[in-house]
Parts: sequence; C-alpha cells; structure tokens
Amino acid sequence: MPGSLQTHELLKSIVQLSSSSIPLDVKLDQMLQAVSGAFQTDRCLFLKPERIGKNGFLSRVASEKKPLWMENGASFPKENALPEEQEYLCPTFACIPLYDGNFFQGIFYLGFSGQHRFSPQEVDLLLLTGEAAGQAIRNEEFHQKTEETISKLTVLNETAQEHEKRAQQLSTLWELNKALLTTVNFERILHLTLTAITIGEGLKFNRAMLFLVNDKDRMLEGVVAVGPDNAEEAGKIWGSLSQRKGTPSDLIIQLPPEDHSTLSSVVKGIRISLAHEHCILSRTVLEGRPFNIQLSPSSKGRLQTPCERGCHRGSEAGCYVGEHLSQNPKVYSYATAPLVGKGKVIGVILVDNLYNQNPITEEDLHFLGMFANQAGLAIENATLYRNLEEVHQELKETQTFLIHLEKMVALGEMSTTLAHEIKNPLTSIGGFARRLDRTLPEGSQEKKYSETIIKEVSRLEKILNDLLNYTREESLVFKELDLRDILEESLSMAEEIRSGRVRLVKEYGDVIPQIRGDSHQLKQTFYNLINNACQAMKENGVLFLRAHSFSKNGSSYLKVEVEDTGKGIDPENLHNIFNPFYSTKESSLGLGLPIVHRIITSHRGQIEVDNRPGKGVKFIITFPSSKTEKGNRVTNS
Amino acid sequence: MKKILVVDDEESIRFLYKEELEEDGYIVECAGNGEEALQKLCAFKPDLISLDIKMPGMDGLEALKLIREKERQLPIILCSAYGEYKQDLTTWASDAYVVKCADLTNFKSTIRKLLGSS
Repeated sequence: MPGSLQTHELLKSIVQLSSSSIPLDVKLDQMLQAVSGAFQTDRCLFLKPERIGKNGFLSRVASEKKPLWMENGASFPKENALPEEQEYLCPTFACIPLYDGNFFQGIFYLGFSGQHRFSPQEVDLLLLTGEAAGQAIRNEEFHQKTEETISKLTVLNETAQEHEKRAQQLSTLWELNKALLTTVNFERILHLTLTAITIGEGLKFNRAMLFLVNDKDRMLEGVVAVGPDNAEEAGKIWGSLSQRKGTPSDLIIQLPPEDHSTLSSVVKGIRISLAHEHCILSRTVLEGRPFNIQLSPSSKGRLQTPCERGCHRGSEAGCYVGEHLSQNPKVYSYATAPLVGKGKVIGVILVDNLYNQNPITEEDLHFLGMFANQAGLAIENATLYRNLEEVHQELKETQTFLIHLEKMVALGEMSTTLAHEIKNPLTSIGGFARRLDRTLPEGSQEKKYSETIIKEVSRLEKILNDLLNYTREESLVFKELDLRDILEESLSMAEEIRSGRVRLVKEYGDVIPQIRGDSHQLKQTFYNLINNACQAMKENGVLFLRAHSFSKNGSSYLKVEVEDTGKGIDPENLHNIFNPFYSTKESSLGLGLPIVHRIITSHRGQIEVDNRPGKGVKFIITFPSSKTEKGNRVTNS
Repeated sequence: MKKILVVDDEESIRFLYKEELEEDGYIVECAGNGEEALQKLCAFKPDLISLDIKMPGMDGLEALKLIREKERQLPIILCSAYGEYKQDLTTWASDAYVVKCADLTNFKSTIRKLLGSS
C-alpha cells in the first residue's frame, strides 16, 4: 500500500512519462515499473487488445471499459475465465482498461499473491494511470499516423517536384532538339548546340566549347565555343537576353553566330592527342562518359587535378584546358560530356560556370548528357550531309568538265570538216598561183601579186594543218620519262634562248620523279610555253624555268614553272587564254595555249597561271609522279 | 612516156595535177571517183595512180583494195588533204602517202621516185 508521498511521486512520474518523448514501449514499461514499485505488485502487465481473448473476463473489462477489482481472487467464478486467463486469477488482482474516453488501448493488470485492499485513493490513482497510459498510447498512435501521413505527403510532393522537373527538362530538350532540326549546315548545328547549352532557357551554363575527334590523327580538335569573354560582357548579354520573348527554340535560332569571340579563337587553337590518357577531354572520348571536375583552391596552392601529378600543359589537358580557359586554373571547375553519333564518340562538349561560379550538379550533368546525345546525332547527320555536299560539288565539277569536253569534241569535229572543205580549193589556188608565178618575169608587178598569193596560201595551209593536229586524235606513246630531258630539248628548239636574246635561269630540284607521258607532246607543250614566254619579252628579258617535286596526301608530284618578265596578260583576256581560236598575237590562230592545256590534262596534270600585269606571267604545271609505288619501295627497303 | 591516172573528186585539183604532170612529160588521164578509176584502168594501163582518199561513191581506200587485186605491182600514191589516214592500216597497201599541198614538189618527187624504181 503506497503512502501518500509515494502516491504523489507515482502521479508525478506518470504525468512526466506521458508527456515525455521517449518511445511508446519504453514509456509503457516505465509506467508499469512505477506502478509496480508503488503498489508492490507481484505481477504488473500491460495487455494489448489483441492479447485479450473473446468471452473471457478480460474481454468484459474491455467491452464495458470499467475496471475490475478482485480483492478476493478465490471467489472469482473460474468458469467466467478462459483457460488462458486462469493465470491471471491471483488472490488479489485488478484490471484497469486503458481508455481515453474514445478508444480502448488495452488493460493494465496488477496481480498480488497476498491479500490486498484497494483504497479509494489507490483506485483513483490507478484509474488516472490507466487514463494517462491510454492517452500516451493514443498520442503515440496519432503521432505515428501524422508522421506517416507527413512522410507520405513529402514523398508525394517530392515525386511531383521530380516529375515537374523531368517534364521541364524534357520540354527543354524537345525545344533544343527542335532548334537543331532547323538546319543541316554543319557550322550552324555546332553553333546551335553550344547556344542551347548556354542560354537561360536551355542548359544555363556560362560557357560551352566543342571539340571533335579527328579520326585520322587521333586528335581532339577545338572547333567552336560560345560564351562571353569576361564577366562584364556576360552581364550585358544575359541582361539583354532576359528581355527577349519566344520559345527557347526560337531564341536559339534567332541568336546570331558570334564566331569572332576570343574564347572561340582560343578553343580553335586547342589540339589534344587522344593518346593523353590522363586528360579529362581524352578520357571523355575514350571512356564515353561525362566528367564533372569541381575544383576548389587547395591549401597548398597546387593544381587539384584528378591525377594530382602537377603535370604541365599538353601532358595534362585538365590543366592545359584550365590554363587556357580560366584566369585561375587552380580553381577551374568544368564538366565534359561525350558527343555520341551513330555508336561512336565523335567529340566532347566542355561546359563551365566561370562567371557566376554556380556549382555543376550531377543533375546538370545528366541533362547535359541527354542533350549531348541528341546533339551528337545532329552533328553526325550534318557531317554526313557535308560529305554528301562535297561529293555533290565534285560531281557537278566533273559534269561541267564533261560538258566542256563534249563541246571541245563537237568543235573538233566541226573544224575537221571545215578544214577538209577548205584544203582542196586552197591547194588548187596555191597550185595555179605557182603555175602563174613561173610564167611571170622576175621583178614585174604581176610577179609580186602571185608571190603574195603563194605566201598567203602557204600560211593558210599551215594554219589548217595546225588546226587538224589539235583536233585529231593522235596515237600517243606513253612511257616513263625524265622531264628534265624534255625541258632541255624544248629549250634547244627556242630561237631566242639559243641566240641569247633571252637570258635563261634554270632551277632543278635534287630529286625529279619520273612521270608517264608522250615525249613528243610534252616537248610541244614546253616549247609552246617557252616560245610564248620569249615572245612576250623585249630585250633583256629573263626566262625562269623551275622543276621541283613535292608530296601531297601521300602522293608525289612534279611541279614545273615557266616564268617570264614580260608585260603579263591583260586581266580581261586571262579567262580566255586556254580557249581555242582565241589569240592576242596576230600571227597565229591561238592554238598554242589550248594545245598546251589539252596535252597537260591528258597527262593527268594541271596548269595554273600566276599573272602579274606589267611584271610577267608564271605558268605552273603539275604532273602526278608515275613512281609512287616504286618510291615507297625504295624508302621501305 | 609514163602514164599517170589522177583520181580526185575535185575538178580543179584534177586540172592542176594534169597541167603540172603533163608539163613534166607524163601522159595524164583523170577520174572523178573510184568506179571511174577502175573502168579506166584496163584501157589506159597507167604506170602510176594518184588516188584521193575522200571521194563520193567509192572512196580511195576501197578503190585501192580493188586495184591492188588486179595490179599487184602498179605504184599507187594516196593523196589526202591531211595526214589523218596515215594510221589506217589499209593505206599501207599503197606505195606512198602524200598530204595535199599547193607546193607540188613533194608530190612530184614521190612520183619520180616510184617510177624510177619500177
């Protein structure tokens, strides 16, 4: 039987316990201990509702929600107790329902092995305890449910936010993609891609740079960059952009290309070998995944690159890129994403937030990755389109050339017919003129007339023969030859060189590759060029004759230059010089240069003119070397 | 006197050759195409034939073939405005190929050479 002091203490601890924030199990346990301590019970239990069987005396307590006081347990009719309830039939026991007025939460059971009488205070105290415990349980449940509801709501809210964000990203992505679809122009696609990455309606990065893989050299080459050159410019641009209206795709398309930025020219100068496995840009390509390099100033002031080797520019492109792209490479933070086109990495996008120093989150990087995938495909398509256009252009040029050839053939046929028709009458005119001439006395006026006819007929016959030589398909003998021999023979045919009226300056390279050609035709070609050059010069002219070899795209070529110090070609006539029947010289039909052109192209060569009016003309002739294979064998052996 | 048959479709050429060759002491007969040349071959019995290639009807190359079948040893000079037939293998059946020219020096020396050797 607790004293009033103990009663007071018990009441105090019950109140304290019920309002404390300890877990419910501990709380109930401590309440039971307090009650058990105060009443000196032999058993003190908390029976949860689920432990109470049906139709027993405990269930009656539960249903009536009234306490049961048994001061004489032996008198309790045992048939009223369920078999599992027998153990509760102590000599004295009490069952107090935990009930807060609305909900039943279980039963407090107090068992005494001896006789015990419950005083009215004890009854009040226990009822109060029961109510407090019931309330504590109820509170706890309520609390739990509230928490659950809150967390459910939180989850729902988070999911909703996440969905909204995703939807926003997808819509942005769709807008950006729409912008990319507006063109197949390669440069435009690149620029649109970077613009999409940098504008506020897009991916919001401060700057974006694009590098493409050069498969041939295994190099990563900077191609284009978008971003302000300094913080001041950044503020200005962003300020004006925020006033613009329209969908993101419209904004991106409308933005004018700004290829002249300092950043762009810096990026265009960056070339990184893919062999640099420590370089983040190379790794982005090789590993095909994005990197997020967030650096902060280190206490030691060293570069905090992932490799921590403190390596120098070139060998560590993380530093290398930083050196070029930021004022302080030690704190340069950036992210990269691979550009994937049709299954392989074709380049890298590098982004940073240099001006507002916003950290690049994984979320940002994920979004960049998604966009880079689309951009990669667009760039790949543009590349294919560009290649297609190049091929198309080549085809067009070939077609133009073929049309030109056809015209030439038609012209040739026409001139052949014409030449035939003229030749016979000319022969008889000339023949009879000669007959007349023989009958005329020397020194007579008539003799002069007949001589003029004979001379002019001869000239006409020569022109006709020249013409037929040009249009006629000659049978050629192509063989390996040393062009120096040809040049020497052509020189020996030129009267001006032989007589010394024109000074000759020769420059032959150490190695002159052989070419395949017809020596007769080539001799005619260079004789024509040399003769033209000599005739273009007055006294004290100098003829330069040069022959050198060079390599291009793995093939070897021979270049010959024939240069004079004459007055040059009138620019008005320049485009006509290879046209047949066009001449500025009065004495010839103008077949010299067209013949040269025809012969050179039939030798798979090219002829170019470097015309400097008033100073001279330089003809540059290029032939492919015939000995590419042989040359390779020589270098291999 | 040696007899020469001049075959050419151009009247003025026939006229020129006849005048020139007769002046040099040859007996000259003319034909305007291949058929006429073959007709005159038996009656005239020339010592040499000057044969133009491009002619209407039977051309010079066809006539050359037919004449060769009859007269294996008869010297024949092919005359053409240009040298374009030089690559035609049928021209090899002739004894000479002369490109027409107002200056007949080359033509005449070819005739002298062929008649001298026969």
